[in-house]
Amino acid sequence: MKDRIMNRRTLVVIFAAFLLAYPFLVGQSSYFMSLIAMTAIYAIAAMSLNLLTGYGGQISVGQGGFLMLGTYTAAVLSAKLDMPIWITIPAAGVVAGLVSLVIGLPAVRLKGHFLAVATLGFGLSIPEIALNWKSVTAGYSGLPMMRPEAVSSDLAFFYVILVVTMVITWILLNIANSRLGRAFLAIRDSEIAAAATGINVAGYKTIMFMIAAFFTGIGGGLYAYWIEYVSPNDFTIMTSFFLLAMIVVGGLASIWGAIVGAILFTIIPHFADSYVGVTNLIIGVAVILIILFRPSGLISIGELFGRNLKTKELESAPVKPDQKQSSEVTDAKF
Amino acid sequence: MEQIVISGLIFGCVYGLAALGLVLIFRTTGLVNFAHGEMAMVTTFVAFTFLSTFELPFFVSFLLAILFAALFGVLIYLVLIRHVGDASHLNQLVLTLGIFLAVHGGAGLIWGHTPTSFPRALDGSSIQLGPIFISPNELFVLVVTFILAMALFALFRFTQVGLSMRASSQDLTAARLMGINVNFVFMVTWASGSVLGGIAGLLTAPFTFLGVSMMFNVLIMAFAAAVLAGFLSLPGAVIGGLIIGIFGNLVSYYWAPEMALVCTFVLIIVVLYIRPQGIFSAPEAIKKV
Amino acid sequence: MLNFNELTVQFAGLTAVSRLSLTIPEGKIYSIIGPNGAGKTTVFNCISRFYTPTEGTIEFEGFDLSRLKPHQIIGLGIARSFQNVELFSKMSVIDNLLTGLHSTLDHNIISISLKLPSIRKTEANARKKAVEVLDMFGLTQFADEKVENLPYGYQKMVDIGRAIMVNPKLILLDEPVAGMNSAETEKLCELILHLRDKMGITVLLIEHDMSLVMKVSDHISVMNFGEKIAEGTPAEIQQNPAVIEAYLGEVEADAEA
Repeated sequence: MKDRIMNRRTLVVIFAAFLLAYPFLVGQSSYFMSLIAMTAIYAIAAMSLNLLTGYGGQISVGQGGFLMLGTYTAAVLSAKLDMPIWITIPAAGVVAGLVSLVIGLPAVRLKGHFLAVATLGFGLSIPEIALNWKSVTAGYSGLPMMRPEAVSSDLAFFYVILVVTMVITWILLNIANSRLGRAFLAIRDSEIAAAATGINVAGYKTIMFMIAAFFTGIGGGLYAYWIEYVSPNDFTIMTSFFLLAMIVVGGLASIWGAIVGAILFTIIPHFADSYVGVTNLIIGVAVILIILFRPSGLISIGELFGRNLKTKELESAPVKPDQKQSSEVTDAKF
Repeated sequence: MEQIVISGLIFGCVYGLAALGLVLIFRTTGLVNFAHGEMAMVTTFVAFTFLSTFELPFFVSFLLAILFAALFGVLIYLVLIRHVGDASHLNQLVLTLGIFLAVHGGAGLIWGHTPTSFPRALDGSSIQLGPIFISPNELFVLVVTFILAMALFALFRFTQVGLSMRASSQDLTAARLMGINVNFVFMVTWASGSVLGGIAGLLTAPFTFLGVSMMFNVLIMAFAAAVLAGFLSLPGAVIGGLIIGIFGNLVSYYWAPEMALVCTFVLIIVVLYIRPQGIFSAPEAIKKV
Repeated sequence: MLNFNELTVQFAGLTAVSRLSLTIPEGKIYSIIGPNGAGKTTVFNCISRFYTPTEGTIEFEGFDLSRLKPHQIIGLGIARSFQNVELFSKMSVIDNLLTGLHSTLDHNIISISLKLPSIRKTEANARKKAVEVLDMFGLTQFADEKVENLPYGYQKMVDIGRAIMVNPKLILLDEPVAGMNSAETEKLCELILHLRDKMGITVLLIEHDMSLVMKVSDHISVMNFGEKIAEGTPAEIQQNPAVIEAYLGEVEADAEA
């Protein structure tokens, strides 16, 4: 067991070290830094969505809408009201979280496919509102953004994004492994039993929408500062579809799975963009293959390795007679 | 204003037909087909290929395209859908999303991304009926919708296949034990659903455009209509479609075209908040714990 | 401890429970038996507040339950197991048990997000308790196994174990031995007695297995068609003609014919 934990921690540390050194590994190229920066932002959105859909079982086909809420909140507060970044980014999260109530409150009574359609409508509506609400969003022309003096270079802001992403990952891991995460899983598996064990199902459903929206909104805020420009085309319904694809292919109910999915589906478009439509085709096929052949996602392959390690340990230890398994519950001690 | 209502009605017919396909598939197989619109788009492109490349007459192309739609639906079911029958609802939904993306991307590669125009079924100038003008093509849409809707209801209610569909949707195992060939029933369902979607596409294209994104708007409206129908009521799907069509067109004209979608979304949310099972469905039975 | 006053439950014309009046004394094992469809699980679901009675009240230690929502019932000290084993099927056994403690654990999202020491401590204590319960049922080797992979008998154990985690005052067991063999039933029998004798929990039991019922019960009520038709000690119930008729009436009639 100890070996397994050590392995996982070491992997994480190596990965984090790689990311921190990354800009220098690619010669501070803006293109390559942008690749990882965007991956990080999508990872935030994917992990948040996973909390909602993978853990909580609430299907959301409109998560992209929260990214856009984040970008526009940051943009409007910064460009029109001159607010500093340490206000605009948290505000991006808060606004997204509050708007999520539009979905979160009705979601309480909606069954799977109804919820999917409602969230689909939400995801489609946000860009339309951004397009139409010209007085605030400047419609089609979009809004320019400026990074704060201290972190205005690509290199500096890359680290801002990286650090924020790492912090959010840590927080989401903490939530997922706590009683809150268990409550979400409980609601997913059996709302009745969840209620009987004291979980306020309606309240928690609303909370999970808010948490997912909050962090995704922050991701959107980071995006605004990175690209230094926001427009209604930034995050479409396709984004929402991609996010779902990320968490399903990566692995539902797994924070690391969401990261794997985000990496996969942000990197692929960059290499497949030669022909328009190739991206969609590849991602579509990938999703189909995973659902058909490995529904628990790619991360479950990693867990397979972990399990193989464990069985090797067990095989080497001697088997004691009273540990013999039986199909009858006769070991109970009363 | 009556003109707006009428043209909204025409769009509503299209939404209703597409919704009918969605509801049929959901009601029988329990699956929400997010790829519905994309399948319809492909059917429309196939029709266009018959029309332009092979220069076949309109109605021949129309019928061939419908045949294609039926086969396409069966193919999708046999190759993909059949294998996820026991999977969770989320997995099934995401599979259809995967199909959406793959078909969307594939269609783009085959036919390109430039929108073109699609010929009408019936040409001719508009006829005036009282305060409104209606073109022959629009009449065609109305008539086709009406006939199809009636045919489908008849199929569902009065035929053996329809009965099998209803039985399968209630209880799959029991249906199998009763000797119903569930696979065959599902194949018929997917074929019918695909045909309905395809016809919706063929009817839409002349009014809007032919392109890989042509069904986006129709799909969301069809979903809205299906929601009103509670995903269960076939007549509800058609009526829901008409309502959405008229409502959307009114908003489009009196406010802004983009807001049609937003308002439809708000409408759905409000409806679902008041009646989570949709307007045209009965309330959920109480689950025995 | 638990009082039913003229409890009536109707579903769109069908009367599931009719004017049930009952008192469950504290610290005893009380069984409700009766043919299928008699309304027994409906009674449980009323206590859990999944159903709202058409008429009548249920009081727990003098407190009217109708004022509460389902997730607040466990806070009073009432826990339950389910006829159809409503477990969190994709979670591990130990996570199922830990979820059982949900109502007692810390609520603060900030401390959870930042994994503050207070959270670590409560989690550690919760785990200890879960391990104890696992040990009690002999399920320790399955701690990390997904519950849906377990054999049925074990699943029922986890269901009951989850209910015990909060040290409830009253536990509702809905057909706990359904589908178990005689060895497993024997063990469960011991468990139920253990709950009353060693843990001081009041047990309300729905069961069809008559030998179990007669063995463990202090009192029994018999329901048929939503009504209480008899009440008393196991000995009294076994002699009661109305009960015998409800269960065996048709067989006798056939025998005479």
